[in-house]
Amino acid sequence: MIQMEDRGNVAIVHIQTPSIDAVSAREIEEFCGRSRKTTVLDFGEVAFINSAGISGLLKFIVAARKRGHLVYAIRVSPHHRKIFKMVELSRFMPIIEEGELAGLQ
Amino acid sequence: MHNQVEMRIPSDLVFERVVRAAAEEIGRQLDFSEERVADLTLAVSEAVTNAIEHGNRLRREINVGVVFRMENDALEIRVIDQGEQSEPPQVQRCAISEESIEEGELRGLGLYLIHQLVDQVEFTTSEEGNTFTMWLHVPPQNGQARRPDQ
Repeated sequence: MIQMEDRGNVAIVHIQTPSIDAVSAREIEEFCGRSRKTTVLDFGEVAFINSAGISGLLKFIVAARKRGHLVYAIRVSPHHRKIFKMVELSRFMPIIEEGELAGLQ
Repeated sequence: MHNQVEMRIPSDLVFERVVRAAAEEIGRQLDFSEERVADLTLAVSEAVTNAIEHGNRLRREINVGVVFRMENDALEIRVIDQGEQSEPPQVQRCAISEESIEEGELRGLGLYLIHQLVDQVEFTTSEEGNTFTMWLHVPPQNGQARRPDQ
């Protein structure tokens, strides 16, 4: 469900599930502690996220922050941008464009 | 009734996905915009998750009922659990904050999202269980164009 790709100093975590919910969030939580200095979560394959899924993402972000790592999001749909903004998740995981990836490396 | 869809699922979070899929299809049949379908789907997901976790306390042997009903100008969704009588749920948190992260409070956003995404909510409780009802207004031209019984 999750594939990690190393691009220099940046790790891109491809979330390969259409749904981040109470069931699949557990798999994301299992990835806690595997972040890199700069980690980018790729939401390109994700069609649905609920609050239980957001909680799983938060656990990943909190674990990364404790290690001094930064987490960004790419390929976020307009609906999920709205939801992330609504709960202010974007404050802790800024959304960037794919074109900005090179600047992180 | 021809404009009503009823479902009953075991109190297992896997089956929340089944209700969510139904909500998405009903939203499309009502010609909701893609964004409105996404709002509906998320609100239903949150309400059903609450009923499974907090109402029925994940007891798989009892059911959560869900009723979608098209009224004159609104889609009504009732989510019914068999939990103990309780006070109306209160929005615990509106956003993720540094404080909530520090305190490890990473859940509790579901009800806030529901209030943001639907037009009206109501909570009723009885000895039989709790019913959480949500309404999403249907634009007039959509309501007249296609209803679930057509």
